[in-house]
Amino acid sequence: MGTNLLDAELVKRVQAGDTAAFDILVQKYQHKVINLVGRFVADHAECQDIAQDAFIKSFRAINSFRGDSQFYTWLYRIAANTAKNYLASRARKSPGYTVDVEDAEHFEGESRLKEYDNPENLLLTEEIKATIFAAIEKLPEDLKSAITLREIDGLSYEEIADVMDCPIGTVRSRIFRARDVIDKELRPLLE
Amino acid sequence: MKQQDEKLSLLLDDDTEADINAELGEVIADVNLQYRMRRYQIIGAAMRNELAQAINTDFHHQVMANIRAELPPVAMRDSGSETARNSAIAFMARSWFRPFAGLTVATSVALVTVALWQQQDPAPKDDLASADQQKIEQLAGQQIAGGAEPVSSRVQSPGTRWKLEHESPVLQRKLNAYLVNHTEYSNSMQGLIPQARVAGFDAEQ
Repeated sequence: MGTNLLDAELVKRVQAGDTAAFDILVQKYQHKVINLVGRFVADHAECQDIAQDAFIKSFRAINSFRGDSQFYTWLYRIAANTAKNYLASRARKSPGYTVDVEDAEHFEGESRLKEYDNPENLLLTEEIKATIFAAIEKLPEDLKSAITLREIDGLSYEEIADVMDCPIGTVRSRIFRARDVIDKELRPLLE
Repeated sequence: MKQQDEKLSLLLDDDTEADINAELGEVIADVNLQYRMRRYQIIGAAMRNELAQAINTDFHHQVMANIRAELPPVAMRDSGSETARNSAIAFMARSWFRPFAGLTVATSVALVTVALWQQQDPAPKDDLASADQQKIEQLAGQQIAGGAEPVSSRVQSPGTRWKLEHESPVLQRKLNAYLVNHTEYSNSMQGLIPQARVAGFDAEQ
């Protein structure tokens, strides 16, 4: 998956005090981190909280990141440790989620569920997925192959050029065009 | 516009040939490019089946709000400006300097304490010491007028302290000497005892 020059540059900026650069890193890795945490914790609302916590911890510790590993490896390690610590602390506590039905309205966890897992969000997510897959299906074969090799198989542009037997410039153009077509369908849902 | 979007696509995939720093600066400065970048991320995540069951579109806002809430105002810096860089250097310098600063402050406090102690408590010369002693003896010999009666309404008798003082002038002198000596070294006006009178401390109840 490339050499992650973008990550290195973003990290450098964050270390120099540019918090806006960290926002880009959060946007870039939020899905992966939530997905990773989801392997440890089944509850979606808890996953979001743990993922947030992991990002905040990584921000606090970013000055200690020396670039010996890739940023995402380092971030995933923090996220995995945060999830494990969460599970350990939950195991130490008494079963806190047994609440009376009458008290459920005032239950702290309930508000989190409201926040993330409300029907509108669930519906929106389903709609987003359906729109993206429908748009991919409609793509010409060369664009579909290029974007699939890139996003699913994680090949570099050079590798895709080898596989598709075309110049690297064509690969760049195909991947961008594929994204652009899908984005046109996706954009109205997220505005 | 298309060209900029294509550059963004390349930037995301680490395939940019242009100055990555300049392109990143453009993205950070342009909210529309950021939205587009986020949508590109969502496309990739959906294709890899990494999307959560319910997308929280405010996730990054929440993270950043928490981070901003934690940071002191001076640490909040705009993207890439010269001031930001200078502040960052100053921040790092502060971090590096912090342990030394602590040591310096501790040393200064110790030095000042020693200097003050030496000023306030010089080695007494014999004649000065004897003059002080004489003064103390003289003052200790005097009776302190007034204020010697217990003020507590619960104590009916004068208590044993007064009895002791009358019966033992040595003890009385010692007590008076202590009070005079204390007044000399206290920061109050000369001759005034700053603390409240203890009443009925030895009441036999």
